[in-house]
Amino acid sequence: MKKLYIIGLLAIGFASCKPQLEPSKPQQGEADFSRYVAVGNSLTAGFADGSLYRYGQEHSYPSMLAKQFAQVGGGDFVQPLLPGNYGYPNAKMMLAVRRGFCDAEASLKVIPFEGALDTPGSSTNISYQGPFNNTGVPGIRCIDYLVPGYAMYNPYAKRFFYNPTGARPLDEVLRINPTFFTLWIGSNDVLSYATGGGESSSTGISDLNLFSYSYDSVVRALGRNGAKGVILNIPDVASIPFFTTIPAKGLTLTKNDADQLNAKYNGTDMRFNTDGSPSYFVIQDSSVPRGYRQIKAGEMVLLSVPLDSIKCNKWGSAVPLPAKYVLTANEVSKIKTAVASFNQVIAQTAAAYNLPVVDMNAYLGTLMSGIKFNGISFNTTFVSGGAFSLDGVHLTPRGYALVANQIIATINSKYQATLPWVDVTAYDGLKMP
Amino acid sequence: MKKQLLLMGSLLLSSAVTFGAGYQLNLQGLRQLAMGGSGTAIPWDAATIFYNPGGLTEFRHLTLYASGQFIMPSAQYVPTPTGNFDARTKDKTYPTFNIYAGGPIVDKSKLSIGIGVYTPFGSGTKWDDNWTGRYIIQEIKLQSIFFQPTVSYKFNDIVSVGAGFIYAVGSVHLDKAIPLQNTAGADGHAQLKGDGHGVGFNIGVHVMPTEKMHLGLTYRSQVNMKVKRGYASFDVPSSVASSFPYTAFSSTLPLPQVLSLGVGFNVSERVTLQADINFVGWKAYDTLSFDYQDNTAALEDTHTPRRYKNTLAVRAGMHYKFSDKVQGMLGAAWDPSPVRDGFVSPDLPDANRGVFTAGLSYKPAPKLSIMAAVEYVRTIARKSSFDAEGFQGKYQTTAFTPGIGLAYNF
Repeated sequence: MKKLYIIGLLAIGFASCKPQLEPSKPQQGEADFSRYVAVGNSLTAGFADGSLYRYGQEHSYPSMLAKQFAQVGGGDFVQPLLPGNYGYPNAKMMLAVRRGFCDAEASLKVIPFEGALDTPGSSTNISYQGPFNNTGVPGIRCIDYLVPGYAMYNPYAKRFFYNPTGARPLDEVLRINPTFFTLWIGSNDVLSYATGGGESSSTGISDLNLFSYSYDSVVRALGRNGAKGVILNIPDVASIPFFTTIPAKGLTLTKNDADQLNAKYNGTDMRFNTDGSPSYFVIQDSSVPRGYRQIKAGEMVLLSVPLDSIKCNKWGSAVPLPAKYVLTANEVSKIKTAVASFNQVIAQTAAAYNLPVVDMNAYLGTLMSGIKFNGISFNTTFVSGGAFSLDGVHLTPRGYALVANQIIATINSKYQATLPWVDVTAYDGLKMP
Repeated sequence: MKKQLLLMGSLLLSSAVTFGAGYQLNLQGLRQLAMGGSGTAIPWDAATIFYNPGGLTEFRHLTLYASGQFIMPSAQYVPTPTGNFDARTKDKTYPTFNIYAGGPIVDKSKLSIGIGVYTPFGSGTKWDDNWTGRYIIQEIKLQSIFFQPTVSYKFNDIVSVGAGFIYAVGSVHLDKAIPLQNTAGADGHAQLKGDGHGVGFNIGVHVMPTEKMHLGLTYRSQVNMKVKRGYASFDVPSSVASSFPYTAFSSTLPLPQVLSLGVGFNVSERVTLQADINFVGWKAYDTLSFDYQDNTAALEDTHTPRRYKNTLAVRAGMHYKFSDKVQGMLGAAWDPSPVRDGFVSPDLPDANRGVFTAGLSYKPAPKLSIMAAVEYVRTIARKSSFDAEGFQGKYQTTAFTPGIGLAYNF
């Protein structure tokens, strides 16, 4: 008996010899997460790879935040989920090894999704499942939040708004009667102008006064019952791969082609390198007398440009790139000015309502120079950067997790909470064939 | 126009190989291990070939020694600044051994010779394959065996000296995940395996100023373990496989020099006390370089700063003679970490460590000793980061090492 007793003691002693750290205990601090609403656009909805699909929604940053909130008294979290993963309304993008029209060899390319079409029912209004905690609407601008019946013009809103024909988007986001909110709006007030190449056919940049008025109205309404929250500002185009992936000086020519172009454009200021080094693309520009010119450093070729046309049909050389694929210096400057003034409005409004700002503009700047998280390298390079999805504007689940952690850090410091950070490695990056 | 879709960035494999203080084993003799790892002053048995080659002349006849130790390390991680989960290493046992033989070349000679075969660096860490630090390390195993032929010379009854040449062999094996997911969402994987070898020496002076007092001073040189031809293999999505070729690599892992000063004192018929101070030259571990034979954009040679600092460890123990047949040992040590904040990696999360030891020796026959000893190592919980990989957390590690062995004095 005595021996057994000693062995038992030894066993207990041995177990207590192991490390005994206690993970820190999550605390809600001064915030009340019982009814959380996420207000925002496509970035909030979980849009990725050029479309909205269920897996992306399930890995939206609000859903990641809700999981952490749930550990400190957060309530149910309901999203207006789509039925399938094909993408709605258009197919999402995927990576595949393919041979382009003029390629000698197959290489990794971004192509439309080739999986099963599982979208039937996507347009059906599902407001009976609500009220929703994630009210992110792809495409929505700040100035749209005060427009009654807005959902009639936006299929994403139409499918989950309770009163699509009459309500303002602001009314819809307030239906949950939030105790806590995250607000990330304003990108589309300038970004849709930018992604459309700054053309008049696309949506223009929102009027600053209207932006300011709408922003203030939204923030005031969200906080009306003493709800606390976090505000995210908007990133500049310079840190988004959609605008930075294709270099202005990215036209590689054979000596023969370059000679022909130099002959063709003889007498102009256009020059093409004959030594195989890259030259500036030729772009349309209605502001110059002949209607085209070479692009300049600092101007941007958009990721939406058809690369096969550049390779096969002499786009960007003998055929000037259409203006909708290009941001000229003038357009870039307009965008930068708008981003700066919108962010100023955001900062001032946040200060007025004593709300913390997550400086996403600065964070994407940091991301551009590269960050490491648990052994994963992230930067803003297209595909290999890991943070941006295949459309070059929206994020991967891992990218959204990085955003969630920025928000959590801000909540913890402003509201004396100790929310656990999101484990970025638990989410997917880009999937490669 | 070429669209450069894939420049994966350098894959810093070298970041996953550290020889932390936890890999330095102080298990080269059971009796010494049981006294906090001290043993520079008093030549208790043939293990003095390691602890102080100068002490070998104390044995007037052939002396033999063999022991095995079984390291059972355990590490725990919790994320910082906040977190709600923890991770623990898998239970694994890493065996080590020591064999020594030595004695005077002829009866009553002042010159003694001997050989030691021992394992001064080793151990390993195995985390769950899917844990949050998997892109830094999943599993690492390090082994080393030192062969040390030794000569020792007794000038007089007070002073003797000894020197040993060291030939070391070792191996490193590591697994880690690569953050490139295939279409099913599974991570890529890298495995590095390499064998290395190196040379060094171990010299010591043993002084007995009085009948009751022993002094020892030893110096074990740095041993540069050269991995001339290791192999790296990768399992990544096929579209990027050409960037990750199966390739040879070379590297050098420096095992640090150790300068030890020891003192031992026979307090009474039954009680002996001894203590050591070890100066460990971890500073040699400044930068770790990996040279891959086939470089690609994703697989470049790496030079990772480690910036270890030198450390001073203190060890002390007591030897108690219960009877002619039974003896007991007790000891403790304080072993500070050479790893600076910002460089603490989860492959072996290093921290200041306390060591607690005990042992028993039993003589069933006058010439034969059977020994058993146990060492328990526990680090102070350490909150730190591994900045090169953007990894931070709080760690604690423990190791429980029982050992058993035999000594025979002719």
